[in-house]
Amino acid sequence: MSRKNLKRYFEILEIDSGASLSEIRNAYIRLKRLYSTDSIVITPIADEFSKKRRLAVLQQIEEAYTKLNEELKDEHQKSTYFGKPGIASENVSEGEEGDSVSFSGDVLRQIREKRGIHLYEVALDTKIRVEILENIEHERFDALPQEVYLKGHVSNYARYLLLDPRKVADDYISRYKAWKADVKDKT
Amino acid sequence: MVEKEGKIWAIGGGKGGTGKSFVTSAMGTYIAGKGKRVILIDIDIGGANLHSFFGISRPKKSLTDFFEAGASLNKLAVKTGIDNMSLITGDIHSLASDNIKFTQKLKLFRHIMKLNKHYVIIDLGAGSHNNTIDTFLMADKKIVILEPEITSVENMYHFIKNALFRKLRMSLREYGFKDIVEQMWERREEYNIKSLRELMDCIRDNFSYVGDIIDKELSDFKLYLILNKIRSSDDILIGSSMKSILMKYLGVDTKFVGFVEYDDSVWRSMRERRPFMLNYSLSRSAKEVEVFTENLLKGKEIKLSRN
Repeated sequence: MSRKNLKRYFEILEIDSGASLSEIRNAYIRLKRLYSTDSIVITPIADEFSKKRRLAVLQQIEEAYTKLNEELKDEHQKSTYFGKPGIASENVSEGEEGDSVSFSGDVLRQIREKRGIHLYEVALDTKIRVEILENIEHERFDALPQEVYLKGHVSNYARYLLLDPRKVADDYISRYKAWKADVKDKT
Repeated sequence: MVEKEGKIWAIGGGKGGTGKSFVTSAMGTYIAGKGKRVILIDIDIGGANLHSFFGISRPKKSLTDFFEAGASLNKLAVKTGIDNMSLITGDIHSLASDNIKFTQKLKLFRHIMKLNKHYVIIDLGAGSHNNTIDTFLMADKKIVILEPEITSVENMYHFIKNALFRKLRMSLREYGFKDIVEQMWERREEYNIKSLRELMDCIRDNFSYVGDIIDKELSDFKLYLILNKIRSSDDILIGSSMKSILMKYLGVDTKFVGFVEYDDSVWRSMRERRPFMLNYSLSRSAKEVEVFTENLLKGKEIKLSRN
Protein backbone atom coordinates (compact mmCIF):
# COMPACT_ATOMS: atom_id res chain seq x y z
CA MET A 1 0.00 0.00 0.00
CA SER A 2 1.34 3.43 -0.82
CA ARG A 3 2.33 5.82 1.90
CA LYS A 4 -0.41 8.18 0.69
CA ASN A 5 -3.19 5.64 1.03
CA LEU A 6 -1.89 4.56 4.37
CA LYS A 7 -1.94 8.17 5.53
CA ARG A 8 -5.50 8.62 4.32
CA TYR A 9 -6.69 5.60 6.30
CA PHE A 10 -5.05 6.92 9.43
CA GLU A 11 -6.75 10.26 8.81
CA ILE A 12 -10.15 8.63 8.47
CA LEU A 13 -9.61 6.94 11.82
CA GLU A 14 -8.39 10.31 13.16
CA ILE A 15 -5.12 9.03 14.57
CA ASP A 16 -1.43 9.74 13.98
CA SER A 17 0.29 7.57 11.44
CA GLY A 18 2.53 6.32 14.23
CA ALA A 19 -0.43 4.98 16.20
CA SER A 20 -0.14 1.56 17.76
CA LEU A 21 -2.42 -1.33 16.91
CA SER A 22 -4.49 -0.92 20.02
CA GLU A 23 -4.91 2.78 19.25
CA ILE A 24 -6.13 1.88 15.77
CA ARG A 25 -8.69 -0.50 17.21
CA ASN A 26 -9.83 1.95 19.89
CA ALA A 27 -10.32 4.66 17.29
CA TYR A 28 -12.30 2.29 15.12
CA ILE A 29 -14.60 1.30 17.97
CA ARG A 30 -15.09 4.89 19.08
CA LEU A 31 -15.95 6.18 15.60
CA LYS A 32 -18.19 3.26 14.78
CA ARG A 33 -20.19 3.93 17.90
CA LEU A 34 -20.30 7.66 17.22
CA TYR A 35 -21.78 7.33 13.74
CA SER A 36 -24.12 4.44 14.38
CA THR A 37 -25.90 5.67 17.52
CA ASP A 38 -27.80 8.80 18.44
CA SER A 39 -26.05 11.07 20.89
CA ILE A 40 -26.14 14.71 21.90
CA VAL A 41 -23.63 15.52 19.18
CA ILE A 42 -25.60 13.79 16.42
CA THR A 43 -29.22 14.53 17.34
CA PRO A 44 -29.09 18.31 16.75
CA ILE A 45 -28.10 17.77 13.10
CA ALA A 46 -29.78 14.41 12.54
CA ASP A 47 -32.20 15.86 9.98
CA GLU A 48 -29.46 17.08 7.66
CA PHE A 49 -26.75 14.58 8.53
CA SER A 50 -28.95 11.81 7.23
CA LYS A 51 -28.76 8.06 7.87
CA LYS A 52 -27.50 7.64 4.34
CA ARG A 53 -24.63 10.06 4.83
CA ARG A 54 -23.74 8.51 8.14
CA LEU A 55 -23.72 5.10 6.50
CA ALA A 56 -21.23 6.38 3.96
CA VAL A 57 -19.01 7.62 6.79
CA LEU A 58 -19.29 4.26 8.51
CA GLN A 59 -18.25 2.50 5.31
CA GLN A 60 -15.14 4.65 5.08
CA ILE A 61 -14.28 3.87 8.66
CA GLU A 62 -14.78 0.18 8.04
CA GLU A 63 -12.63 0.29 4.93
CA ALA A 64 -9.83 2.18 6.67
CA TYR A 65 -9.79 -0.29 9.54
CA THR A 66 -9.88 -3.35 7.27
CA LYS A 67 -7.16 -2.02 4.99
CA LEU A 68 -4.87 -1.09 7.83
CA ASN A 69 -5.28 -4.52 9.33
CA GLU A 70 -4.67 -6.22 6.00
CA GLU A 71 -1.56 -4.16 5.48
CA LEU A 72 -0.17 -5.31 8.79
CA LYS A 73 -1.13 -8.91 8.21
CA ASP A 74 0.34 -8.77 4.74
CA GLU A 75 3.58 -7.50 6.15
CA HIS A 76 3.59 -10.37 8.56
CA GLN A 77 3.17 -13.00 5.85
CA LYS A 78 5.69 -11.56 3.46
CA SER A 79 8.37 -11.27 6.02
CA THR A 80 7.85 -14.85 7.18
CA TYR A 81 7.83 -15.99 3.56
CA PHE A 82 11.27 -14.53 3.08
CA GLY A 83 12.46 -16.49 6.02
CA LYS A 84 12.28 -13.38 8.08
CA PRO A 85 10.48 -13.22 11.35
CA GLY A 86 6.81 -12.48 11.78
CA ILE A 87 6.10 -8.94 12.51
CA ALA A 88 4.57 -8.63 15.89
CA SER A 89 0.97 -7.75 15.45
CA GLU A 90 -1.78 -8.05 17.94
CA ASN A 91 -4.10 -9.41 15.31
CA VAL A 92 -1.73 -12.12 14.24
CA SER A 93 -1.09 -14.13 17.29
CA GLU A 94 0.19 -17.48 16.08
CA GLY A 95 3.13 -16.89 18.31
CA GLU A 96 4.98 -19.94 16.99
CA GLU A 97 7.99 -18.14 15.72
CA GLY A 98 7.87 -15.97 18.79
CA ASP A 99 11.20 -17.30 19.90
CA SER A 100 13.01 -16.83 16.67
CA VAL A 101 11.78 -13.30 15.97
CA SER A 102 14.59 -11.19 14.68
CA PHE A 103 14.22 -7.50 14.06
CA SER A 104 17.59 -6.75 12.63
CA GLY A 105 18.40 -3.28 11.38
CA ASP A 106 18.13 -4.67 7.89
CA VAL A 107 14.57 -5.91 8.48
CA LEU A 108 13.59 -2.50 9.82
CA ARG A 109 15.06 -0.91 6.72
CA GLN A 110 13.14 -3.29 4.43
CA ILE A 111 9.86 -2.58 6.15
CA ARG A 112 10.49 1.13 5.94
CA GLU A 113 11.37 1.02 2.25
CA LYS A 114 8.36 -1.08 1.45
CA ARG A 115 6.19 1.62 2.95
CA GLY A 116 7.97 4.18 0.83
CA ILE A 117 9.12 6.17 3.82
CA HIS A 118 12.31 8.14 3.69
CA LEU A 119 14.64 8.22 6.66
CA TYR A 120 14.17 11.98 6.84
CA GLU A 121 10.46 11.53 7.39
CA VAL A 122 11.15 9.14 10.23
CA ALA A 123 13.60 11.61 11.70
CA LEU A 124 11.11 14.42 11.44
CA ASP A 125 8.31 12.54 13.18
CA THR A 126 10.32 10.64 15.77
CA LYS A 127 12.83 13.43 16.48
CA ILE A 128 15.64 10.88 16.13
CA ARG A 129 18.61 12.14 14.14
CA VAL A 130 19.09 10.65 10.68
CA GLU A 131 22.63 9.43 11.45
CA ILE A 132 21.36 7.50 14.43
CA LEU A 133 18.60 5.92 12.35
CA GLU A 134 21.17 4.96 9.74
CA ASN A 135 23.42 3.43 12.35
CA ILE A 136 20.46 1.52 13.77
CA GLU A 137 19.64 0.07 10.36
CA HIS A 138 23.23 -0.87 9.68
CA GLU A 139 23.70 -2.12 13.21
CA ARG A 140 26.84 -0.08 13.69
CA PHE A 141 26.78 -0.79 17.38
CA ASP A 142 30.01 1.04 18.10
CA ALA A 143 28.55 4.27 16.74
CA LEU A 144 25.25 4.00 18.60
CA PRO A 145 24.37 5.73 21.86
CA GLN A 146 24.23 3.97 25.20
CA GLU A 147 21.82 1.11 25.74
CA VAL A 148 19.08 3.08 27.55
CA TYR A 149 18.96 5.71 24.83
CA LEU A 150 19.29 3.18 22.07
CA LYS A 151 16.37 1.20 23.43
CA GLY A 152 14.21 4.33 23.39
CA HIS A 153 15.20 5.14 19.83
CA VAL A 154 14.55 1.64 18.56
CA SER A 155 11.15 1.55 20.29
CA ASN A 156 10.15 4.86 18.76
CA TYR A 157 11.30 3.80 15.35
CA ALA A 158 9.41 0.51 15.66
CA ARG A 159 6.26 2.31 16.77
CA TYR A 160 6.54 4.56 13.75
CA LEU A 161 6.64 1.48 11.52
CA LEU A 162 3.58 0.09 13.32
CA LEU A 163 5.57 -2.70 14.90
CA ASP A 164 5.36 -3.78 18.49
CA PRO A 165 7.93 -1.47 20.08
CA ARG A 166 8.77 -3.76 22.95
CA LYS A 167 9.37 -6.88 20.92
CA VAL A 168 11.50 -5.04 18.40
CA ALA A 169 13.53 -3.24 21.04
CA ASP A 170 14.09 -6.38 23.13
CA ASP A 171 15.27 -8.28 20.13
CA TYR A 172 17.49 -5.49 18.89
CA ILE A 173 19.03 -4.87 22.29
CA SER A 174 19.76 -8.57 22.77
CA ARG A 175 22.04 -8.43 19.74
CA TYR A 176 23.56 -5.18 20.98
CA LYS A 177 24.31 -6.86 24.32
CA ALA A 178 25.88 -9.87 22.60
CA TRP A 179 28.13 -7.53 20.65
CA LYS A 180 29.09 -5.66 23.79
CA ALA A 181 29.96 -8.84 25.66
CA ASP A 182 32.02 -9.87 22.67
CA VAL A 183 33.96 -6.62 22.71
CA LYS A 184 34.57 -7.00 26.41
CA ASP A 185 35.93 -10.51 25.97
CA LYS A 186 38.43 -9.34 23.43
CA THR A 187 39.86 -6.64 25.63
CA MET B 1 7.92 27.10 20.50
CA VAL B 2 5.36 29.84 20.17
CA GLU B 3 3.72 30.39 16.84
CA LYS B 4 4.75 33.73 15.43
CA GLU B 5 1.56 34.37 13.57
CA GLY B 6 -1.86 34.38 14.98
CA LYS B 7 -2.07 36.77 17.89
CA ILE B 8 -5.68 37.79 17.32
CA TRP B 9 -7.98 35.28 18.92
CA ALA B 10 -11.78 35.33 18.87
CA ILE B 11 -13.90 33.33 21.26
CA GLY B 12 -17.37 32.39 20.06
CA GLY B 13 -19.63 29.41 19.81
CA GLY B 14 -23.23 30.49 19.78
CA LYS B 15 -24.83 29.75 23.10
CA GLY B 16 -24.75 32.14 26.04
CA GLY B 17 -23.49 30.98 29.39
CA THR B 18 -21.00 28.44 28.09
CA GLY B 19 -18.17 30.37 29.68
CA LYS B 20 -16.74 32.49 26.86
CA SER B 21 -16.00 35.39 29.18
CA PHE B 22 -14.51 33.12 31.80
CA VAL B 23 -12.26 31.47 29.23
CA THR B 24 -11.25 34.84 27.76
CA SER B 25 -10.35 36.29 31.14
CA ALA B 26 -8.54 33.19 32.38
CA MET B 27 -6.62 32.67 29.18
CA GLY B 28 -5.62 36.34 29.06
CA THR B 29 -4.43 36.26 32.66
CA TYR B 30 -2.29 33.23 31.96
CA ILE B 31 -0.69 34.70 28.83
CA ALA B 32 -0.08 38.04 30.57
CA GLY B 33 1.53 36.09 33.40
CA LYS B 34 4.04 34.75 30.93
CA GLY B 35 5.17 38.32 30.33
CA LYS B 36 3.32 38.85 27.04
CA ARG B 37 1.21 41.92 26.46
CA VAL B 38 -2.50 41.20 26.22
CA ILE B 39 -5.52 43.27 25.27
CA LEU B 40 -8.97 41.81 25.85
CA ILE B 41 -11.84 43.12 23.78
CA ASP B 42 -15.35 42.53 25.01
CA ILE B 43 -17.91 42.81 22.24
CA ASP B 44 -20.67 40.78 23.78
CA ILE B 45 -23.77 42.44 22.39
CA GLY B 46 -26.07 40.85 24.91
CA GLY B 47 -24.14 42.28 27.81
CA ALA B 48 -20.48 43.07 27.99
CA ASN B 49 -19.37 41.99 31.43
CA LEU B 50 -15.81 40.87 31.08
CA HIS B 51 -14.75 43.55 33.56
CA SER B 52 -16.63 41.70 36.29
CA PHE B 53 -14.16 38.85 36.04
CA PHE B 54 -11.45 41.21 37.25
CA GLY B 55 -13.54 42.86 39.93
CA ILE B 56 -13.36 46.23 38.22
CA SER B 57 -16.30 48.47 37.40
CA ARG B 58 -17.65 48.92 33.89
CA PRO B 59 -15.18 51.04 31.89
CA LYS B 60 -16.57 54.48 31.08
CA LYS B 61 -15.10 54.49 27.62
CA SER B 62 -16.19 51.93 25.09
CA LEU B 63 -16.03 51.13 21.39
CA THR B 64 -18.81 53.70 20.94
CA ASP B 65 -16.07 56.29 21.38
CA PHE B 66 -14.11 54.58 18.63
CA PHE B 67 -17.03 54.59 16.21
CA GLU B 68 -18.47 57.98 17.07
CA ALA B 69 -15.53 60.08 18.21
CA GLY B 70 -12.66 58.31 16.47
CA ALA B 71 -10.85 57.57 19.72
CA SER B 72 -7.86 55.26 19.27
CA LEU B 73 -8.14 51.76 20.64
CA ASN B 74 -5.14 52.32 22.89
CA LYS B 75 -6.95 55.20 24.58
CA LEU B 76 -9.97 53.00 25.26
CA ALA B 77 -7.99 50.28 26.96
CA VAL B 78 -8.35 50.30 30.74
CA LYS B 79 -6.25 48.53 33.34
CA THR B 80 -7.46 45.15 34.55
CA GLY B 81 -5.39 45.07 37.71
CA ILE B 82 -3.22 42.42 36.10
CA ASP B 83 0.20 43.33 34.78
CA ASN B 84 0.54 43.42 30.99
CA MET B 85 -3.18 43.16 30.41
CA SER B 86 -5.79 45.78 29.54
CA LEU B 87 -9.42 45.69 28.50
CA ILE B 88 -11.53 47.39 25.85
CA THR B 89 -15.28 47.25 26.21
CA GLY B 90 -17.92 47.40 23.55
CA ASP B 91 -21.48 48.10 24.48
CA ILE B 92 -24.89 47.49 23.17
CA HIS B 93 -25.12 50.92 21.53
CA SER B 94 -21.95 50.59 19.56
CA LEU B 95 -22.51 47.09 18.32
CA ALA B 96 -26.25 46.61 18.08
CA SER B 97 -27.59 45.25 14.85
CA ASP B 98 -27.49 48.00 12.27
CA ASN B 99 -25.70 50.74 14.11
CA ILE B 100 -22.33 50.12 12.56
CA LYS B 101 -21.72 50.25 8.88
CA PHE B 102 -19.57 47.79 7.04
CA THR B 103 -16.84 50.38 6.48
CA GLN B 104 -16.76 51.14 10.19
CA LYS B 105 -16.40 47.49 10.91
CA LEU B 106 -13.47 47.21 8.52
CA LYS B 107 -11.88 50.20 10.22
CA LEU B 108 -12.21 48.49 13.58
CA PHE B 109 -10.60 45.31 12.22
CA ARG B 110 -7.77 47.36 10.73
CA HIS B 111 -7.11 48.98 14.06
CA ILE B 112 -7.30 45.69 15.91
CA MET B 113 -4.70 44.25 13.55
CA LYS B 114 -2.43 47.19 14.37
CA LEU B 115 -2.35 46.05 17.97
CA ASN B 116 -0.05 43.29 16.76
CA LYS B 117 2.47 43.73 19.55
CA HIS B 118 -0.17 42.26 21.80
CA TYR B 119 -2.19 39.16 22.05
CA VAL B 120 -5.70 40.37 21.32
CA ILE B 121 -8.41 38.14 22.74
CA ILE B 122 -11.93 39.00 21.66
CA ASP B 123 -14.93 37.81 23.64
CA LEU B 124 -17.71 37.60 21.06
CA GLY B 125 -20.59 36.77 23.33
CA ALA B 126 -23.58 34.71 22.31
CA GLY B 127 -25.45 34.60 19.05
CA SER B 128 -24.69 34.38 15.37
CA HIS B 129 -25.23 38.00 14.38
CA ASN B 130 -23.33 39.16 11.30
CA ASN B 131 -21.12 41.49 13.31
CA THR B 132 -20.22 38.62 15.59
CA ILE B 133 -19.53 36.30 12.68
CA ASP B 134 -17.44 38.84 10.79
CA THR B 135 -15.26 39.48 13.82
CA PHE B 136 -14.89 35.73 14.27
CA LEU B 137 -13.82 35.32 10.64
CA MET B 138 -11.26 38.11 10.92
CA ALA B 139 -9.43 36.45 13.80
CA ASP B 140 -6.24 34.44 13.33
CA LYS B 141 -7.45 31.84 15.79
CA LYS B 142 -11.11 30.97 15.76
CA ILE B 143 -11.96 29.48 19.11
CA VAL B 144 -15.30 27.94 20.03
CA ILE B 145 -16.47 27.07 23.53
CA LEU B 146 -18.76 24.11 24.01
CA GLU B 147 -20.60 22.92 27.05
CA PRO B 148 -21.42 19.20 27.08
CA GLU B 149 -25.14 19.61 26.65
CA ILE B 150 -27.44 19.37 23.68
CA THR B 151 -28.47 23.04 23.53
CA SER B 152 -24.86 24.14 23.40
CA VAL B 153 -24.07 21.59 20.70
CA GLU B 154 -27.04 22.72 18.67
CA ASN B 155 -26.13 26.40 18.87
CA MET B 156 -22.55 25.65 18.02
CA TYR B 157 -23.49 23.85 14.80
CA HIS B 158 -25.65 26.83 13.94
CA PHE B 159 -22.82 29.25 14.67
CA ILE B 160 -20.23 27.32 12.69
CA LYS B 161 -22.50 26.79 9.70
CA ASN B 162 -23.35 30.49 9.66
CA ALA B 163 -19.71 31.45 9.81
CA LEU B 164 -18.76 29.02 7.07
CA PHE B 165 -21.66 30.09 4.86
CA ARG B 166 -20.67 33.71 5.21
CA LYS B 167 -17.03 32.97 4.52
CA LEU B 168 -17.84 31.00 1.38
CA ARG B 169 -20.14 33.70 0.13
CA MET B 170 -17.61 36.45 0.69
CA SER B 171 -14.65 34.61 -0.80
CA LEU B 172 -16.51 33.38 -3.87
CA ARG B 173 -17.48 36.96 -4.41
CA GLU B 174 -13.82 37.97 -4.17
CA TYR B 175 -12.95 35.39 -6.80
CA GLY B 176 -15.52 36.94 -9.08
CA PHE B 177 -18.30 34.41 -8.66
CA LYS B 178 -20.54 37.04 -7.30
CA ASP B 179 -23.84 35.41 -6.70
CA ILE B 180 -23.24 31.70 -7.00
CA VAL B 181 -24.01 31.01 -3.38
CA GLU B 182 -27.06 33.26 -3.28
CA GLN B 183 -28.46 31.93 -6.53
CA MET B 184 -27.99 28.35 -5.52
CA TRP B 185 -29.57 29.03 -2.18
CA GLU B 186 -32.54 30.80 -3.76
CA ARG B 187 -33.13 27.85 -6.05
CA ARG B 188 -32.66 25.36 -3.25
CA GLU B 189 -36.09 23.80 -3.82
CA GLU B 190 -35.24 23.06 -7.39
CA TYR B 191 -31.85 21.57 -6.50
CA ASN B 192 -33.22 19.92 -3.40
CA ILE B 193 -30.74 21.64 -1.09
CA LYS B 194 -31.59 21.45 2.59
CA SER B 195 -28.32 22.11 4.29
CA LEU B 196 -25.00 23.88 3.96
CA ARG B 197 -23.31 20.59 3.15
CA GLU B 198 -25.75 19.93 0.31
CA LEU B 199 -25.23 23.46 -0.91
CA MET B 200 -21.47 22.95 -1.02
CA ASP B 201 -21.88 19.60 -2.77
CA CYS B 202 -24.29 21.10 -5.26
CA ILE B 203 -21.97 24.00 -6.10
CA ARG B 204 -19.14 21.50 -6.56
CA ASP B 205 -21.27 19.38 -8.91
CA ASN B 206 -22.51 22.25 -11.02
CA PHE B 207 -19.44 24.46 -11.09
CA SER B 208 -16.46 22.14 -10.92
CA TYR B 209 -13.99 25.04 -11.16
CA VAL B 210 -15.35 26.46 -7.93
CA GLY B 211 -14.67 23.22 -6.07
CA ASP B 212 -11.03 24.11 -5.58
CA ILE B 213 -11.97 27.44 -4.05
CA ILE B 214 -14.34 25.77 -1.64
CA ASP B 215 -11.62 23.32 -0.66
CA LYS B 216 -9.17 26.14 -0.11
CA GLU B 217 -11.63 28.13 1.99
CA LEU B 218 -12.43 25.06 4.03
CA SER B 219 -8.76 24.43 4.70
CA ASP B 220 -8.34 28.05 5.83
CA PHE B 221 -11.28 27.76 8.17
CA LYS B 222 -9.61 26.09 11.12
CA LEU B 223 -11.31 25.94 14.48
CA TYR B 224 -10.05 25.44 18.00
CA LEU B 225 -12.46 23.74 20.37
CA ILE B 226 -12.55 24.10 24.14
CA LEU B 227 -14.95 22.06 26.25
CA ASN B 228 -16.13 23.88 29.36
CA LYS B 229 -17.96 22.78 32.51
CA ILE B 230 -17.44 19.06 32.11
CA ARG B 231 -18.77 16.97 34.96
CA SER B 232 -17.27 13.58 34.22
CA SER B 233 -14.39 12.22 32.22
CA ASP B 234 -16.93 10.73 29.80
CA ASP B 235 -17.82 14.29 28.82
CA ILE B 236 -14.37 14.72 27.29
CA LEU B 237 -15.40 12.34 24.53
CA ILE B 238 -17.93 14.94 23.39
CA GLY B 239 -15.02 17.14 22.35
CA SER B 240 -13.49 14.39 20.23
CA SER B 241 -16.89 13.53 18.76
CA MET B 242 -17.61 17.13 17.83
CA LYS B 243 -14.22 17.38 16.15
CA SER B 244 -14.91 14.21 14.20
CA ILE B 245 -18.34 15.28 12.97
CA LEU B 246 -17.18 18.76 11.96
CA MET B 247 -14.59 17.15 9.70
CA LYS B 248 -16.57 14.23 8.38
CA TYR B 249 -19.78 16.12 7.83
CA LEU B 250 -18.75 19.71 7.05
CA GLY B 251 -15.08 19.26 6.14
CA VAL B 252 -14.02 21.69 8.86
CA ASP B 253 -10.67 21.00 10.50
CA THR B 254 -10.96 21.41 14.27
CA LYS B 255 -8.30 21.14 16.91
CA PHE B 256 -9.63 19.99 20.26
CA VAL B 257 -7.27 21.91 22.54
CA GLY B 258 -8.64 21.16 25.98
CA PHE B 259 -11.33 21.20 28.61
CA VAL B 260 -12.19 22.70 31.97
CA GLU B 261 -14.21 20.89 34.57
CA TYR B 262 -17.19 22.40 36.26
CA ASP B 263 -15.90 24.35 39.25
CA ASP B 264 -17.78 26.42 41.82
CA SER B 265 -14.69 28.45 42.52
CA VAL B 266 -15.16 30.25 39.21
CA TRP B 267 -18.43 31.59 40.50
CA ARG B 268 -16.97 32.17 43.97
CA SER B 269 -14.12 34.14 42.46
CA MET B 270 -16.58 36.46 40.79
CA ARG B 271 -18.33 36.99 44.14
CA GLU B 272 -15.04 37.80 45.75
CA ARG B 273 -14.28 40.18 42.88
CA ARG B 274 -10.89 38.57 42.33
CA PRO B 275 -9.46 37.16 39.07
CA PHE B 276 -9.93 33.40 39.11
CA MET B 277 -6.50 32.50 37.78
CA LEU B 278 -4.82 34.40 40.63
CA ASN B 279 -7.32 33.53 43.32
CA TYR B 280 -7.40 29.80 42.63
CA SER B 281 -4.13 29.41 40.82
CA LEU B 282 -3.55 25.94 42.22
CA SER B 283 -6.96 24.53 41.41
CA ARG B 284 -7.42 21.78 38.85
CA SER B 285 -9.47 24.07 36.62
CA ALA B 286 -6.69 26.67 36.60
CA LYS B 287 -4.25 23.97 35.49
CA GLU B 288 -6.69 22.92 32.77
CA VAL B 289 -6.85 26.52 31.55
CA GLU B 290 -3.05 26.55 31.40
CA VAL B 291 -3.01 23.35 29.37
CA PHE B 292 -5.40 24.53 26.66
CA THR B 293 -3.86 28.00 26.49
CA GLU B 294 -0.43 26.44 25.92
CA ASN B 295 -1.98 24.24 23.24
CA LEU B 296 -3.49 27.29 21.58
CA LEU B 297 -0.18 29.13 21.67
CA LYS B 298 1.57 26.17 20.09
CA GLY B 299 -1.26 25.15 17.77
CA LYS B 300 -1.38 21.70 19.31
CA GLU B 301 -4.18 19.39 20.33
CA ILE B 302 -4.78 18.00 23.76
CA LYS B 303 -3.21 14.63 24.40
CA LEU B 304 -5.85 12.27 25.66
CA SER B 305 -4.89 9.12 27.43
CA ARG B 306 -6.35 5.96 26.03
CA ASN B 307 -9.28 5.89 28.40
